[in-house]
Amino acid sequence: MIRPHDSIIVQSLGRFLIPVIQIFGLYVLFFGQYGPGGGFVGGVILGTSMILSVLTFGHDATRSQIAKKVLHGDGVGMLIYAGVGGLCMIGGGEFLNYAHLEIPGLEVAARRSLGIVLTQIGVAIDVAVTAVSIVFSLSAEEIIEDVTNG
Amino acid sequence: MRQHLPALLFLLPLFAAISMPLVCLKHRGWSRPIAVTVLSIMSVLSIINLISIIQDGEVRYAFSGWGPLLGIEWVADVLASVILVALSLLGLMTLIFAGSTAPKNLGGRIVHFYTLILLLVAALTGIVFAGDLFNLFVFLEVAALSSYALVGVAGGPALFAAFRYLVLGTLGASLYLLGVSYFYAASGTLNMVDMAERLPHLLTSKAVVGGLLFMFIGLGIKMALVPFHAWLPDAYTHAPESVSPILASLVTKVALLGWVRIIFWVLGAKVIVYDIPVLLLVGILGTLAAVIGAVLALKQQNIKMMFAYGGISHIGIILIGVSQGNQTGFVGGIFYLLNDAFMQATLFFWAGIAMCHYGVQTIADMKRVKQAPWVTGALVIAALGMVGLPPTGGFFGKWYIMLGALEANNYLAVGAVLLSTLLTLAYFVRLFEGIFFPEPTQSDMRHHDIPFSLKLSLGVTSTAIMILGLLSDPIVRLLLAQALPPGL
Repeated sequence: MIRPHDSIIVQSLGRFLIPVIQIFGLYVLFFGQYGPGGGFVGGVILGTSMILSVLTFGHDATRSQIAKKVLHGDGVGMLIYAGVGGLCMIGGGEFLNYAHLEIPGLEVAARRSLGIVLTQIGVAIDVAVTAVSIVFSLSAEEIIEDVTNG
Repeated sequence: MRQHLPALLFLLPLFAAISMPLVCLKHRGWSRPIAVTVLSIMSVLSIINLISIIQDGEVRYAFSGWGPLLGIEWVADVLASVILVALSLLGLMTLIFAGSTAPKNLGGRIVHFYTLILLLVAALTGIVFAGDLFNLFVFLEVAALSSYALVGVAGGPALFAAFRYLVLGTLGASLYLLGVSYFYAASGTLNMVDMAERLPHLLTSKAVVGGLLFMFIGLGIKMALVPFHAWLPDAYTHAPESVSPILASLVTKVALLGWVRIIFWVLGAKVIVYDIPVLLLVGILGTLAAVIGAVLALKQQNIKMMFAYGGISHIGIILIGVSQGNQTGFVGGIFYLLNDAFMQATLFFWAGIAMCHYGVQTIADMKRVKQAPWVTGALVIAALGMVGLPPTGGFFGKWYIMLGALEANNYLAVGAVLLSTLLTLAYFVRLFEGIFFPEPTQSDMRHHDIPFSLKLSLGVTSTAIMILGLLSDPIVRLLLAQALPPGL
């Protein structure tokens, strides 16, 4: 059970910081094709923003609902990853060989770029969800139990 | 299509496992049909894969299209494909068996239970196919993590066993990783084929010798070789009935297969490190394991404990076979590994049925199963296989192992196999004594009809022991022709 933090400073700063952290997370995620960054780091940052919202506003607040909802997202992230890999196989290449991502009108370099972004989004979702679910399972077991038991 | 099969065989259970919590969010009951369907498809695909690899040669699959030195390589040769057929069939049988023996108090976690079993199968597939040392570590770790969770899934005393398994297993994985990093530092590559080319010039390097030692100890813990076996009996005894068959039949054997890959495909069969042949060391440890495991099995009262120690002694026998340094012994060892997977599965299926339906835990309770002749019959077949009597695969495995040892003039190994056989006979005699000549006590018969799924899984695995014996000649000839490591 995580209660909202009672300090007004923490709450105001949290309100301000969370969107900034999320934008920075997305930036790191999409920058990953050109430089340092990528799905894992971006996912950790996105997860951190949700953890921060749970820690400052408590896990019952409306702001934290998104963190509870994403707990099932690890399947989604992995399905995106598998889907991109599978499309490459259908296109005639190896698993995750983005050059065979059959999208008309795109040349090979653009296909590779698109494939990397899509798989990294999948990875980011998985990592973010894992970070959030670690915090939830350390803090309040009943949340996980409630969610898994429907 | 043919070249994609090895990748598909791995991706199918992996992605089924990971998407299962999402798919079964609202419908918990879907988890078992999905898992059974996935592993049925996998079994069919693995048989198709084996046939295609026997006919057209091995497949090397580079994920993402990156070449073997940069990317992740999958090596599907005959050895891997044969083991994979056994792996997927046994995984399927375990799932069928798990239907009515799955722990009752799981509730919503039943989805996680099937997820973990699929994840375990995927990870074992990864170990079998991995073409580089680091991915071998990754999949060893995934397999181990799902096994810890599966052992402890029902709670109670199993949690303690699972924790002990976790501590020792993590130690083993860390040592293996340390060994891999030493190898990488010395040779600059992780790919097995590439490393096999570079290592012969590096065998005097202390990094390689140390790395080899760490890898061996790490994998020794994973395969429960005798000085490092302490985690196994407790974990397998306290694990839920539906879990111990897959752990006992596959996890240790696949770790052993990883070690066989490293000795024969990376180091080379005839490798001598500082005047000590590696195979000689492996053979000595195998000899010890074969005898000590059987002695420890003989003094157990709990039947699952007895079967678990029997498995430890059989790991030793397989190591004796592969370490003889000739073709006969190697093929005998691999063939015995296949048989042992099916025998261990049969024994733990049997123990599960005896436990769930007759309340049998120790030898003193054994008389209760006398009322079920089919169940006793399955135990007789498994016992014939474990002892090594002719119509079963166990006999032919031991036969080729002993022929190999005689060919190498290694009479100590022959003696160890014979002694272990006699001890195995002794502890099975104790079991049958418990069934047929019970000490007179009051009988509290609890008779339930055994569900068809349990009969099916026990029947298939015990029949497989006989079929492996009857088909031993073609299988051994296939292994001799196509599955031998280079330079043996």
